[in-house]
Amino acid sequence: MKYTARMPETNVNVTPTSPLREFFVLLSGVIAIIVGIYLLLGLALNIIVPRIPMTFERKMAGPFINSMASVDRSSEKAQTVQKLLDVIQGRYAKLPYTFTVYLQESPRVNAVALPGGNIVVFSGLLEKVESENELAFILAHEMGHYVNRDHLKGLGRVLVFIMISAVLLGPDSSVGNLLAQSLNITEMAFSRNQETLADEFALNALHSTYGHVGGSADFFIKLSKEVNAGLGGHYFSTHPENLKRIAHLKNYSRIHGFAEKLLRNIPAIINKKRPA
Amino acid sequence: MSKRYNLVFDGSIVEGENIEKVKKNTRTADGALILTNIESVPGKKIVEHFGLVSGSTIRAKHIGRDLMASLKNIIGGELKGYTELLNDSRRQAVDRMIDQAQQLGANAIVNIRFSTSSVAQGAAELYAYGTAVRVE
Amino acid sequence: MNDLTIIITLIAIGYIAGTWAEKRHYRSIEKREREFLDLPTVSIKNVNIDDAKVKKAEIVYGGAVISVDYFKRILAGLRNIFGGAVKSYESLIDRARREALLRMKAMAPDATMIINVRIETSTIGRKSHKKSVACLEAFAYGTAIYLEE
Repeated sequence: MKYTARMPETNVNVTPTSPLREFFVLLSGVIAIIVGIYLLLGLALNIIVPRIPMTFERKMAGPFINSMASVDRSSEKAQTVQKLLDVIQGRYAKLPYTFTVYLQESPRVNAVALPGGNIVVFSGLLEKVESENELAFILAHEMGHYVNRDHLKGLGRVLVFIMISAVLLGPDSSVGNLLAQSLNITEMAFSRNQETLADEFALNALHSTYGHVGGSADFFIKLSKEVNAGLGGHYFSTHPENLKRIAHLKNYSRIHGFAEKLLRNIPAIINKKRPA
Repeated sequence: MSKRYNLVFDGSIVEGENIEKVKKNTRTADGALILTNIESVPGKKIVEHFGLVSGSTIRAKHIGRDLMASLKNIIGGELKGYTELLNDSRRQAVDRMIDQAQQLGANAIVNIRFSTSSVAQGAAELYAYGTAVRVE
Repeated sequence: MNDLTIIITLIAIGYIAGTWAEKRHYRSIEKREREFLDLPTVSIKNVNIDDAKVKKAEIVYGGAVISVDYFKRILAGLRNIFGGAVKSYESLIDRARREALLRMKAMAPDATMIINVRIETSTIGRKSHKKSVACLEAFAYGTAIYLEE
């Protein structure tokens, strides 16, 4: 048996292909699917969410809130914030919710609207506020989210996406993480409109409560000065750029003839840090 | 010859009209190359050899098939979609091996071995290799 | 947002470095394959050689572990959604196998031939997807035959 030494002319086992092109084709396919699901989901949620009764929402949220061990609703500080919230609810908001304020020890400068009228305020935010009006605006802003029930819409979207991603790609897959990242961008774009509406609601609430809208922009002015502060980072990422936002607040007040008058001092307890 | 070839190919016994189908689907069925998984080609003499030849493909199944398969996992039974996919891919691997053998000037491949491995999550690699020879 | 930048950077690095490394590896493989072209490597056992002339016979083997670059991993992950041929992994596995065969041959450069060659492929460390290094091993083994001149 003779041996003939020869090299094959071409490598048959590797398809001559452009991996970059394949990458972009596949990626745009995935993004198209995501956007499709996202829009469909948005439509579905817009139809479903207004139909969920408030009582049902509160009942469902109960166990979840109770499981948050570190929240505080009974301290003097929490009661003070709660009182302020009740004033706004009584004077202007009159929403079909029973609002409950929870304090959470955290450096985050933020407040979150959770289902069932539960508003979580982070201690980092309370340390930053300088007037009662400023705090009232932030609380009214969170209440504004309940008017359009944004909290349910946002939560619903995130939950459904986590579920779809886990089912299709398995938990912790690198592609899943990539998708989650692209999702955050769309989430931001979506929130902007909701945030603006909540801001407008808060302005009206402030006007009804105090007779003027002084202090409404204070918080954002403060934040825009701390662009690089890690504390404000989160608030930034989900809320529209602060300068645009301040401009919109001023503009809205001007159109509706809301004046700015003297601010009320904040109760001392609010700014007090928890003893270490 | 073609009967044995079919055996090698699909890993299952193909009979009746299916043989015609397999023949139609593959280039080798028209007798361009002889493929065996034994040391020789019975009735012929190996006069020259060219060393190892191999062919491989990697295939991923799409998500729809994954979902169907996970449903099927509840009741058990053959996953027809997967069987088909793997057979198609194996056929492509063999075709690639044949391509390589033809480039070297062989007219038969003996002692073919198949192997399957999972390279990436959800993707299977089908691999075939053998010795390219010229028989008379 | 920040994480997205990290992922994009990783993909870009993976693509550039991966393509460069692959080209270099292929050049080296082809060069060595030409050097070993005269060493017959077959998967058959029965070669017509005179037993009396066999000076020595010994097992030879070679293995190579090749890792996936980040770009290819993401590409394969995307491909997994749509199904079809995972072309990006083809070169990877091709390189691993040819490298394994070359290392096997390098164990017996003076042999007359290597017979009964078998090739195994396996993946290493895929138990938990997050922390594992996605890589594959090709392993080739056979019997080197040395004949008297």
